[in-house]
Amino acid sequence: MARITVDPITRIEGHLRIDAVVDGGEVQKAWASCSMWRGIETILLGRDPREAWLFTQRFCGVCTTVHAIASVRAVEDALGMQIPLNAQYIRNLILIAHALHDHIVHFYHLSALDWVDVTTIPKADAAKASSVGESLSEWPGNSRHEMERVQKSVAGLLESGQLGIFANGYWGHPAMKLIPEVNLLAVAHYLQALDFQRKANQVVGILGGKTPHIQNLAVGGVMNAINFNSLATFNMDRLYMLKDLLGEVVPFVQQVYFPDACAIAGFYPEWFEIGAGVKNYLTVPDLPTDPASTAFDIPGGTIFDGNLADVRRISSGRDEYFRKGVVEDVTHGWYQGRGAQHPWQGETVPNYTDFQDDGKYSWVKAPRFEGKPMQVGPLSNVLVAYALEHELTRKWTDLALARVSAIAQRPITVNHLHSTMGRYLARAIRAAVLSELAVRHWELLATNITGGDVETFRAPDFPKGAIEGVGFHEAPRGTLSHWVVIKEGVLANYQAVVPTTWNASPRDQNDVPGPYEAALLKNPIADPEKPLEILRTVHSFDPCMACACHTLDLQGTPIATVKVL
Amino acid sequence: MTSRAQAPAPIAVIGLGNVLLGDDGCGPFVIEQLRAAWQLPATVELIDAGTPGLDLVTYLDGREVVIFIDAVVAAGSPGDVRIYGGDDLRGLPAKPRGSPHDPAVQEALDIVALAGRGPRQVLLVGIIAETLALGAGLSPVVYAATERAVGCVVEALRQCGAPPLPRQAAPLAVPWWLRAACASRPHG
Repeated sequence: MARITVDPITRIEGHLRIDAVVDGGEVQKAWASCSMWRGIETILLGRDPREAWLFTQRFCGVCTTVHAIASVRAVEDALGMQIPLNAQYIRNLILIAHALHDHIVHFYHLSALDWVDVTTIPKADAAKASSVGESLSEWPGNSRHEMERVQKSVAGLLESGQLGIFANGYWGHPAMKLIPEVNLLAVAHYLQALDFQRKANQVVGILGGKTPHIQNLAVGGVMNAINFNSLATFNMDRLYMLKDLLGEVVPFVQQVYFPDACAIAGFYPEWFEIGAGVKNYLTVPDLPTDPASTAFDIPGGTIFDGNLADVRRISSGRDEYFRKGVVEDVTHGWYQGRGAQHPWQGETVPNYTDFQDDGKYSWVKAPRFEGKPMQVGPLSNVLVAYALEHELTRKWTDLALARVSAIAQRPITVNHLHSTMGRYLARAIRAAVLSELAVRHWELLATNITGGDVETFRAPDFPKGAIEGVGFHEAPRGTLSHWVVIKEGVLANYQAVVPTTWNASPRDQNDVPGPYEAALLKNPIADPEKPLEILRTVHSFDPCMACACHTLDLQGTPIATVKVL
Repeated sequence: MTSRAQAPAPIAVIGLGNVLLGDDGCGPFVIEQLRAAWQLPATVELIDAGTPGLDLVTYLDGREVVIFIDAVVAAGSPGDVRIYGGDDLRGLPAKPRGSPHDPAVQEALDIVALAGRGPRQVLLVGIIAETLALGAGLSPVVYAATERAVGCVVEALRQCGAPPLPRQAAPLAVPWWLRAACASRPHG
């Protein structure tokens, strides 16, 4: 029996730590811990609710936009406000572009190297790699010339001995199974993806004023002035600049990312049997299409115990099922007390004890819905939408399953999606769905503006006394909700329940583990010194723990350890 | 990144750090001071990048020169300003990829280099932090150091052939995160 601790230790703490007990070649018990206090919301108390979004988008350096949107939605909900249609469409386009950017980066730059062994690339036959690529899609970037060019630069890097980005991979690991040609194709797309994630980000910049940290939001709408006769405002030029960029990003998602995800899944079908963990799923509706946010282009709801037939819809932000269902449990978190509280009553009083296997062991609180741990993220989104017969989700899911089954030469069904590989595939399905909705929301915006509606903002009016609100957003990593209490026009409580809090949740008062902890059970471990399999399952959730701090350590001390006891 | 879809400016000055965590915010603060007090040539873009992790790639892509400003952990006293070259950054050990935040400056530089679009020159103006505790504001010693850091960036830009010009009677920037919390209702 061995205990593995994967703990990137930086001087500035704030990272995910995974502890796993391994016996008989598989994980028998696991703990997920975050080593940083997430009390950042306390900085908002006493502030003007209209400027909270500026602060919240600094909670996290990667998911800036999503915290800004959830914040203005929370304050608008507390005020019972409707916002102009243009504001909904502009926000939706920002959210979609951000999500496409994020999903592309996750697949290629953050997780592909868990599956792709770059050290085999010099052995690849470039012509064969090109024909594999051409068999997957009509993408023009799969030429033999392109494969030869990429092969040469990777081979040069490997020969130089200065591996750079490839220095930290588990190369030659027995769980790496792709042929050299597929590895070459994947790295070629890894490099091409740089262009397209940047273009998706430009869409956010054009609408948001700049990136990172958009500047166009307001409680009550957006601050984009629309005037086709002005060079300084949102005009026809900007509108068509967006269309051109989407015209490049959408084909990349549909012709490169989606087929690549299907191919990787097809070559590793055994990962559809691993890593299910918590089969309760939560997702919130998003992309509102009316001023009151009652109609949405992506549905929300819950599934319990993997039973898609029992799906229950969350109709809108006003739905009491969601508003009353969420609590956070601090029994195993480094906070004072035991048991669970609703976010509006939530307290964040630290009580650090050191890592105790059976006591408190994480700065993450344990969110629960109807008392149960919930998995959030693209898989929840895809399963709930599929169960609710959402047309676009059905179309892309069925296409993905057909492609994966053909490559794997065995039937892969919706039931296989409860797994580590299911999470990777669902992210690509969601990206494909969003890529179609990007075009739709551009058309909605263009039609509405050319029809003469240029309204983008309604001024909020704060009543005397106390009001409460919740703003949610189905972010790239899953359900995000901001819960506010406003008294006399000033913030009196602010709690952000972020997607990674749901997934990286510690055990609760009934000792029920969270999604990471449960998903790691029975993961095979070929080599405890190189726990690649743990990384694959944890990365499948797209964790985002260190929503906070960045400081360079130049003392040359080791900044991470992988320890086997 | 500016709002228009165009080729990036060849020189990027990038402030890194979280403005809600004490001295970690010194990078973005230096960017605001540069913006307020100096007129920059069109070849230079100022970017408050926050804590972007791997998203930093987006802002490095296609640049010739990149100047970072960031809080650093190094031998010395809080408020010391240190200048590092690209080799100092590339020498840092790689670490396991855990979350999107983990791949930091050196990994982002490696990725654009592999794509053949990396900067030919990289400079880091580092300020040794005193406190990284929760709170929007710099410690006095680091606040004082930001003026020297601005001077370092201005000098570096001169050496790159992109000399900034001082603005007349320039105001001191007070960015939004340093404004006080409201004492009463925002609407009367």
